[in-house]
Amino acid sequence: MIDAADLTLLSTGFRAAMEEPGDADRLDAALVELGWRELLADSPDEAVALVFPLLGATGAHAPLLNDVLLHALGRPPGGVVALAENGLAFGRPCVPAGGLDPALGLCRVEWRPLGEEAVAAGRRALGFQLVGAGRAMLELAREHALTRTQFGRRLASFQAVRHRLAETLVTLEAAEAALAHATDPTTSTLGKALAGRAGLAAARNCQQVLAGIGFTAEHRFQSFARRVLVLDDLLGSAKALAEDVGGSLLATRRAPRLIEL
Amino acid sequence: MRVEEFRTGLRAWLDEHDLSPVHDKSLDGDMAQLSRVRRALFDAGWMRWGWPEHAGGLGGPTILRAVLGEEVATRGLAEPGIYSLIEVLAPTLIRYGSPELLAFVPLLLSGEETWCQGFSEPGAGSDLASLTTRAVRDGAEWVIDGQKVWTSLAQYAQRCLLLARTSGPGHRGISAFLVDMDSPGVLVRPIETMHGVDEFAEVFFDGVRVPADRMIGAVGQGWEIAMSILPDERSSCFWHRVAHLYTRLDRLLAAAPAGSERALGEAFLDLHAIRSTSLRTQHRRARGEPLGAETSIDKILIASAEQRLFDTARDLLPGVVEYEESPWREEYLYSRAATIYGGTAEIQRNIVAKRLLSLGDE
Ligand SMILES: Cc1cc2nc3c(=O)[nH]c(=O)nc-3n(C[C@H](O)[C@H](O)[C@H](O)COP(=O)(O)OP(=O)(O)OC[C@H]3O[C@@H](n4cnc5c(N)ncnc54)[C@H](O)[C@@H]3O)c2cc1C
Repeated sequence: MIDAADLTLLSTGFRAAMEEPGDADRLDAALVELGWRELLADSPDEAVALVFPLLGATGAHAPLLNDVLLHALGRPPGGVVALAENGLAFGRPCVPAGGLDPALGLCRVEWRPLGEEAVAAGRRALGFQLVGAGRAMLELAREHALTRTQFGRRLASFQAVRHRLAETLVTLEAAEAALAHATDPTTSTLGKALAGRAGLAAARNCQQVLAGIGFTAEHRFQSFARRVLVLDDLLGSAKALAEDVGGSLLATRRAPRLIEL
Repeated sequence: MRVEEFRTGLRAWLDEHDLSPVHDKSLDGDMAQLSRVRRALFDAGWMRWGWPEHAGGLGGPTILRAVLGEEVATRGLAEPGIYSLIEVLAPTLIRYGSPELLAFVPLLLSGEETWCQGFSEPGAGSDLASLTTRAVRDGAEWVIDGQKVWTSLAQYAQRCLLLARTSGPGHRGISAFLVDMDSPGVLVRPIETMHGVDEFAEVFFDGVRVPADRMIGAVGQGWEIAMSILPDERSSCFWHRVAHLYTRLDRLLAAAPAGSERALGEAFLDLHAIRSTSLRTQHRRARGEPLGAETSIDKILIASAEQRLFDTARDLLPGVVEYEESPWREEYLYSRAATIYGGTAEIQRNIVAKRLLSLGDE
């Protein structure tokens, strides 16, 4: 187990690497240098909770989800794992492809069933990344609201704007709290679903607050907005997961109380 | 006493001592049941854990109160709203009250008494600090004149935790009192509610004389006292209510038709969201961290979870609210108040925007 001081140190290093310009392969290599694989092997839960919010917040990409799944499958890191029956996977090396978010370098590889534990680990990681991306969008919108004036007032003084941003924070906090207690397949599924909801809510609300400037290709907002749509879809969207969860509720006809005091 | 030990012991005790409701489903019945449950739990000690010894408790972490409330709600032993009211009243008195005032706490815990919270007024709802009920010093007494409204359980209460103005306008002019409801000059008029359970009342104060030692804290400390309620209200109380809402989802699951997976899943996600943030809040409190504006997040989540749950019931069981005689109607209607009482949904968003997002003033 890793202690808090080491985690802080690693966090600073990882963030710096993610904020450096360069492509996914460079970042992938840099994170290996910084000890990502050892961290994942020693403390997988802490590793995911540390790295994926940072990936989300910085908007950087490295195909680390592969490592998380490989670890859960008991295989060595560094490879590529299909996320769904259609073979969709984060390419390694990462070759920017088509789609809504080309930087993710999604590709198709041979599908092998993942098993419950690996899916749970993947959902947790994606959940954390969604929350990180949501927080980044919230910060962009917040800064905009505090600096731009209309009608002689700062946007941040309009209650409609304030309430949208408040609502965004509430959904993000809910997702983060759920992910902090995601320890098994069911709670990981719920965590990912709440994170998907939060990511999408952040995109919707922050886009509205950023208005025209947020609609440009030049503004950073749009890259986060694209990313959360893809991240939400991978390993089960908020809607699809809600439906799955509802299915098991109907099958047992009892709502499990999943976390205890 | 540790949480696990407490829970195991409590469950075993409750399995042996049947406290299931014996009274009819009226407010009088609910109140009688509540007193019976409190009395039994107090005598057996369960109700006293988590409360400080100098207030008649047995000590131990406050989180034990949440464990007890969850068990009471999950087993349907008492209506959770009225059960939780002690969390709104007793901790404040314990924190600010003199030793003489602390002596009242066991009366509340043991179900011997009911208390009410006299904060809101006709002219002071969300803007509570504008309240105008006055307390004027007269020798060894304060004389109170004014009106409170929406005071839950005032018609049953022996005492009222009252906010009144003792000096000029604003927060600093407000003081808190523990007022006997049988004092001459107190008039309680129950108000009919929309859900048919007339739980609140108007309370009129006409020259009511209150001994000076019934002031809680110091002159002008009323606002601070009122605000200090929030962490208690929003940790233990919310945990009770969430436990209650899970029982309602269970009830819905028993009757829900095929094809309702998505709607049920969304309702369950809402409950899991508030359960997760509330757990975090309880842990913060257990570590002794001060609770503040973050609890507005829990408040927003619990209100929307409750409304979504009952909206889902109405969608999945067509007609059950409109035409059938079942608890769904009353509970559906009551859920509409979730975004109003304890600080409205808008006020909570204002707090999140200002305090947590530092967006400055409106
Ligand atoms: C079932 C129930 C039980 C209650 N029990 C008690 C009790 O025991 N003791 C007690 O003291 N009180 C009690 N209350 C009162 C409750 O605290 C108040 O109803 C609440 O604070 C709102 O006040 P109001 O009803 O006067 O609404 P108002 O404050 O008049 O608000 C009306 C509307 O305007 C909005 N609004 C007001 N100010 C703002 C603002 N600054 N920004 C944006 N929107 C705003 C509100 O959100 C609301 O939608 C109870 C209420 C209910 C429904």
